[in-house]
This record gives sequence, C-alpha cells and structure tokens, in this order.
Amino acid sequence: MARVTRSGRSVGLILTAVAVAIVVAFSSSTRLALALGLAVAVLGVGATLVSLPAVRRGHPVATRALISVVVVDLAILLTFRVSATSDSNVAIGAAMSIVLLGLSFLTGSSGQISLGNGAFMGVGAFTVGIWADHHATTPLLAVLVLATLAGALVGLVLGLPATRLRGPYLAGMTLAFAVAFGAILNVFSSWTGGDSGLQLPSAVVAPHWLASFFGPGASALATSSAWLADISILVTGVALFLMANLFASRTGRAMRLVRDNDTAAELVGVSLPRARVIAFTVSAAYAALGGALWTLVNNSVSPSTYGFVLSITILSLVVIGGIGTIPGAIIGGIIYAFSAGAISWLTAHLGLNPQGNVASQLDGIIFGGLLVLTIVFAPMGIAGLVRRGWRRVRHG
Amino acid sequence: MDAFLTSRNVSDLLGGVTSGVIYALVALSLVLIWRSTRMLNFAQGAMAVFATYIGFAILAPTTNYWVSMSVAIVAGLVLGGVTERVLVRPLYGKPEINPIVAMVGLLLVLESIAAAIWSTSARALATPFSIVDWQLNHKPVALSPFALYEIVTSLVVMAIVAALFQYTKLGLQLRAAALAPEVSRLLGVRVGRMLTVGWMLSTAVGAVTAVLVASNFFTGLTPSGMDGVFAFGFIAAAIGGLDSPVGAMVSGLALGVVFQFVGDYVNSNAVILVALGLLIVSLMVRPNGVFTRSAQRRV
Amino acid sequence: MIVVDGLSVSYGAVRALQSVSFEAPSGEITAVLGANGAGKTTLLRAISGLVSPLAGTVSKDGDVLTGRRTEDIVRLGVAHVPEGRGVIAEFTVEENLRLGFMIARGSLADALAEQYAIFPVLGERRRQAAATLSGGERQMLAMARALIARPSVLLLDEPSLGLAPLVTAQLMQQIRELCARENLTVVLVEQNATSALRIAQRAVVLRVGVVVANDTAAVVRDDENLRQYYLGMVE
Ligand SMILES: Nc1ncnc2c1ncn2[C@@H]1O[C@H](COP(=O)(O)OP(=O)(O)O)[C@@H](O)[C@H]1O
Ligand SMILES: [Mg+2]
Repeated sequence: MARVTRSGRSVGLILTAVAVAIVVAFSSSTRLALALGLAVAVLGVGATLVSLPAVRRGHPVATRALISVVVVDLAILLTFRVSATSDSNVAIGAAMSIVLLGLSFLTGSSGQISLGNGAFMGVGAFTVGIWADHHATTPLLAVLVLATLAGALVGLVLGLPATRLRGPYLAGMTLAFAVAFGAILNVFSSWTGGDSGLQLPSAVVAPHWLASFFGPGASALATSSAWLADISILVTGVALFLMANLFASRTGRAMRLVRDNDTAAELVGVSLPRARVIAFTVSAAYAALGGALWTLVNNSVSPSTYGFVLSITILSLVVIGGIGTIPGAIIGGIIYAFSAGAISWLTAHLGLNPQGNVASQLDGIIFGGLLVLTIVFAPMGIAGLVRRGWRRVRHG
Repeated sequence: MDAFLTSRNVSDLLGGVTSGVIYALVALSLVLIWRSTRMLNFAQGAMAVFATYIGFAILAPTTNYWVSMSVAIVAGLVLGGVTERVLVRPLYGKPEINPIVAMVGLLLVLESIAAAIWSTSARALATPFSIVDWQLNHKPVALSPFALYEIVTSLVVMAIVAALFQYTKLGLQLRAAALAPEVSRLLGVRVGRMLTVGWMLSTAVGAVTAVLVASNFFTGLTPSGMDGVFAFGFIAAAIGGLDSPVGAMVSGLALGVVFQFVGDYVNSNAVILVALGLLIVSLMVRPNGVFTRSAQRRV
Repeated sequence: MIVVDGLSVSYGAVRALQSVSFEAPSGEITAVLGANGAGKTTLLRAISGLVSPLAGTVSKDGDVLTGRRTEDIVRLGVAHVPEGRGVIAEFTVEENLRLGFMIARGSLADALAEQYAIFPVLGERRRQAAATLSGGERQMLAMARALIARPSVLLLDEPSLGLAPLVTAQLMQQIRELCARENLTVVLVEQNATSALRIAQRAVVLRVGVVVANDTAAVVRDDENLRQYYLGMVE
C-alpha cells in the first residue's frame, strides 16, 4: 500500500509538472496542445488526489506546493480560450481568491472579521495606478510587491486598535473605513485622479524574455487578455502556497489557539495583541495584492469599484465559500468568477428587463440572502458542507 | 449680538449641532441593542431607511408628512421586532462574528430590495418646514426652521427614550434584562420579550433618524443613504462607549460640532480622516469608550 | 409546601443530582446541606426552572412546576435568592425593590414601606446604588426584593456566604422570624451547617447529587457520622 501511494505521488508530481508546462507554453497555439495538456493535467490531478494522504504525512510543504500547482493548473485550463471576456472573468476571480484567502486567514486565525477589505483592495489597486503613472517601466513583480506592502502598512495602522479591541468594535471600525474610502481618495485627488480614477499609461505586456523564450509564436500571447489571466492565476497560486504554509505554521497554529481560547493562548505564551495585529495586517496585504491585479487586468482603476458594496461582497463570498478555511476562499473566488454570468443568465430566464431596477439589484439580493442563510443554517459554508458530506461518506 | 450670531464660529456650532443630533440618535439606537444583546446592529441604517420608504413611498406622496412619519415609526417597530424574532434569536450564544455577518447580510438584502422596488435615485420628501436659513440684518444665521425642527425632534426622541428607561416599569425591566438576564428571569422579567422590545425601540428611533436625514432637501431618500450616517453614528457610539446611552449621545453631538469646524476650517474631505483618527486613538486609549465606567466593562 | 420527587439533573456528562426526593413543609425551614459541588445550587435552579431535569418533578401545593418557565414559576409565588445574591449593582436600592415588585399587585409605596420597616438600613440607603452596600446589606436587599412580591416559597442559596459570624447570626434570626410570621416555605441551602441547623426544622444532606439524610434538623444535628463525614462539623 505504502509503495503504491509513494509511486502515485511521484507520478502525480511529474504529470502535473508536465501538464503545467504544456498548458502554459502552448496555451494559445494549437488545439492539439490544448487537448494534450488537458489530458495530462487531468491524469496528474487524479494521481495527486490518490496519493494525497501519504504526501501530506511525508512532505507537507511539497504537498501544499502540489495543491497550489493543481489549482493553478485547473484555473489555467479554465481560461482555455473560450473568449477574452471569460479570460478576464477568471483573472478577476483568481485575484478575488487572494482577497478571500486573506479574510479567511483573519477569521480562521483570530476570530475577527473585517468589513473593509474592499477598501484595502482599493489601496493596492490605487498603488499600482499611481505608481504606473510615475514609473511606467517598473517590473511587474516589483509593482505587485509594492502594492502588497502598501496594503500591509495601511492594515497595520488600522489594525493597531485590534490589539485591545474585539469583534464588533473592530468590525465597525473597518466598516467606517470602507464607507469613508471614497472620501479618503478624494483627499488625495491630485494623485488618485478624484472621481474619475486612473488609466494605466499602456496595456501591461508580457516581458520580452518571456516572448523570446517561447519564440515568435508567443507574440499574440504577450498582449492578449489570456496572458493577464495567466499572471493573475500564477500569483494566486503563489499566494495560496504561502497562505497554506502560514495556516499550518507555528504562528498559524498559535493564532488558532488565540481564536479558540484567549486564556489558553496566553498560558502557552502567545502574545494576543501581536497575533491579532499580524492577522489583520496579512489580510489587508492580501486584499491589496488582489486589488493590484484588478488594476492590471482592467488597465484602469476607478474609485467607485472599491465602495462599501465590494467589502460586503467579499464578506459574502468568503462566508458562502466557508470562512476560516483555504478551500472556502478558493470556492468563493470561483463563485465570483461565474457570478456575473450566472446573474445575467438568471435575469434573462426570469424575463427581467436587464436595465431595470430589479435586474440591477439581483446580485445584492442573492448575495445578501445567501449570506444570511449561510450564517444561520450552515455557518461553515460550502466547504463545511462538503467536509461534512465527505465524512459521512467515509464513515458510512 | 447680531454679528456674533452670524459669525463663522457660531454658524459652525449651529451646523454642527444640527448634524450632531443625528449622529447622537444613531448612536443611541446602536446602544439600545448593544446593551441588551452585545450585538452591533450593522443593518441599523438599512432597516431605518426601509421603514422610511414604507412610510413615504408606499403611501401616496401626497399624504401628510406626519402621517407618513408615524407609519415609518410603526414600520420600524415591526421591522425591529420581526428581525429579532426571526434572524437574531438563532444567533444568541454563537461566535460573535456570526451576528455581525448576519446583520451585514440583512443590510445588503434590505438596501438591494429597496433599490429594486424604489430605484436608487433620490426621492425628495416634502419637508414640513422651510430649509432657508433665518436672516439677521440681511445676514444668514446658520439655522433654518427645518434645522430647528430636526434638533427639537431629536432631543424629544432622546428625552422620550430616557424617560421610558428611567421612569417606567417597562424601562426598569429593559435595563434589568440587559444588566442581569438570569436574575431578571428569577424576578419574573420576560427577558426574551425585553430583547424584542429593545430591537423594536432601536429600529423606531432609527426610523425617526432616517426620516430626518431624508427630509433634508439636499440628500433626499436613497437606499444607501444611511451608510455614511451610520458610520459616523457608530464612531460616536464607540467613542462614547456602546454601554453608555448618555455617553453615546453626548459624543454624537460633540462629533457633529467637531466635524463641522474641521470641514469649515480644513477641508470637507478631511472630516472622515479626522473621524477615523479620533476613533482609532480613542479606542486605543479607552477601548470601552470614554464614558464607560470600568465597573460596567464586560469583554 | 414544596415536594421534590425523583429529581435528576445533569450537565452534559456530569450528573449533578440523582433521584433527589424530599418535602419542604410550609411554615418551616428546610436546610439543604452538603459540601461544595454536592448539587445544592443545582437543586434550587431546578426548582425555579433555570435548569430542566432529566427526570423527576417538583410541585408546589399540588401544582407541578417542572416544565414551566422560570418567569411563570416566579409568578406562582416561588422566590429564589441566587448564589451571590444577584443584587443588580448598577441599580439603586429602590430600583432593585421596584423590580422585585414588578410581578405583584397593589400599592408599591406600601410594599416599600413594609420592607423598609423590616430592613431599616435599606430605607436609609434607598437612593444609593446597590454597588455601595456592604455584604450584609446586599443580602438584606436580596431578601427584601424576594419578599416584596409576597411569595409563599423562599429559596435561599448560601445567604451567609462572606458574612461575618455576628451578621450571619442576625440574618438567620431574621429568616426564622419571617418564616414563622408569613408561613413561608423556606429552602435554605448552606455550607455553614451549624448556623443553618440552629434555625431549621428539617434538614436534607446531599453528597455528590445523592440524598444521604432527610430528617428533622435535630436528628441530623445529633448524628455523629453525618456531622463528621458530610458536614465537616468537627469541633
Ligand atoms: N453550568 C454547569 N456546567 C457544568 N457543570 C456544572 C454546572 N454547574 C454545576 N456543575 C457541576 O454540578 C455539580 C453540582 O454543582 P452545584 O449545584 O453548583 O453544587 P453546590 O451548589 O452544592 O456547590 C458540580 O460537580 C459542578 O461542577
Ligand atoms: Mg452552590
């Protein structure tokens, strides 16, 4: 049995790596590559899943890397060139997953909640916009890191009271931040462009080395929305990998102790105030990274995107997906990627006037309603339901 | 004297009081629920707006203002009671973020439904009083008949709530149920009913607030019109102490005045930054509010 | 009269009471004794409906109390002064009493006057916050608040806890007088067996949720075994 799973693991690793390589390299060239990549990827995912428990025991970090790769793999498969619109939907959804990972970590590790992560996204989004306005040639990676740091900094300042506050007060403070974000942007309107926001000076193109590496055939790829989607997905994979390690790290475990029992945590020597502020800062940083990707994908940033409604939407997604868990955040991101399409489908099937009041409010009614129903009847969201169902299947 | 009354500082003071009473009412509404259930009602503004739509949109627009106001108050009582019974009751004893999430969900649902039915465009309410400022020697005093009505109504609402709590049997039971639920049950107080009554009262106070906000010619009634007011009201309540009704109201009034001066002397966009800064600093220094005595503190 | 019949209560896996039965007659004080954790508080909480029993019933003058809500049991004349007294510290003395009178009929002023006559110190402090009272005064306030609604049953949970011996003696005297004058059914939970047995007519001894003695106070007082092993009354 052990030998079977060990070989399963190796096969899974190799096949997945091959699949990723093929998918990334030839994604937009031929339908043959597409079919090949898909087949190998599915094989790889299957083999990986079979060997998962053994891998988890042996090499936790490798396992997390593997899972991240599989998620990236699947997401890239999703972008398979149906249309540019769906590419950008996937990119937007992947970036949203990053935001949700951050909020999930905040709640999962400290039992706190933030109603202002839409505004933290805005911090990252505008950092990219402002930076691109002034330094158009900065490498992509540096811009993303910068935006993340900006989010962390704002999060740290707002999170300081978290050292002494609990739940409702902190939630109220983040709500005030979310509601005020538009006005705050206006205070700095010479940088942020006021109500009209900022337009990136030029579309974000793939760096030359990538184009030269893949040869002339990749030039189409270099400017297409597919490339942006791939970037967004890859960054999500990295964020996912880091978060999975953070969740499992000593710090992460200590933080869960904080959440479950303040006194016990203090006895073990965990500093409550520090744990809370760290959790809050990480969640703000992740939100900012997601927002930065949105600016890249949209090629522009507008203050109206980052209003209070976005913060509530983020909360809804993470709760419906399963708050405090990593799968919950991924599920939330997937829901977000498909929600716009699903809602217009629903609008059409209900025979609503797409320009009418009801159609334009459908998403709010559905998300809000699901949010209420989830927290009352299934507080652990879809991830919790799946886990419970899985346990029932396994134990009969 | 006339020059004094029309001076910049007095104008700011009057303007500040006019908006401060609104923040004080929101803060009071939040405190009413916090004290009895340890929940922060994030849907407070949305519930208030919804009640106001019922009073002013369902009834024909020609209906008398006072009738509409009364309908809005009744709608607030009903909405608050139903919310407590149906949505809030299953959440007692759950982790503290569950009610936060539920109330945010309710906020989204109510604002979306209001927008779906009545659209997002602002609806002007026929105000019962002129919004034109009084004049002294051809110079405006920063006070209109409408502003005076707003201030007086707010003070009357606060006085009614205070008297109810201080002097009536119901108020005694409401306070007891909030302070010591089990002891109250042992003395025959129907604590569950008191929680419902608390939510009803809070939402009715919210409805009056939303009617006052919406009656203002410049804002009108919109589905999300209370979001910003709610944020300021929460800041006031958090600074004053969510456990202290008097503290919350005083701090609402004080914040209104401070913001007016900041807006006038600095920049109107800076107000929100000052508000957030005040909130952060005061929460760091006095996490349970400036007016909360340490004996009353509960984590 | 209170009749407890086969009462069992558990908190999850912890069995706090096991088939407890006894009678507490009107006009008499029934002392419930036992070490810390014996289940005394749980017994009173089960009588007033704060916990629901697994099995067994409690009835008062023939009316079954079990299954009713605390708020309704109180209205049937069962007053419960909880462990730690349950005085609302933020309320004034008079507000505490007004709250106690809430379920009663008649004139509040008369009822207040009556309690101030029994407990003069409360009258002197009527406008003071209960937080400012001493331990003995708080116990008086808790008793007055229970009595002001004219109950027929009085459940007292460790009234002497934290009181000086002299104050305890006075308090016990007062309980005895009240019981006789109002024909009350008093269930007096005490760890301080000596002073409770001095005024009680009957005594029930609990040991980890089980009744080990149920007799007249005099018999329990004179039983050497009970005194040594269950009541810790070694002289
Ligand atoms: N709320 C509770 N949850 C769990 N166990 C309890 C609870 N209250 C009391 N107990 C347990 O029930 C038993 C009886 O407690 P109690 O009635 O308070 O005893 P006493 O009043 O005689 O000291 C003890 O073992 C105690 O630990
Ligand atoms: Mg006890």
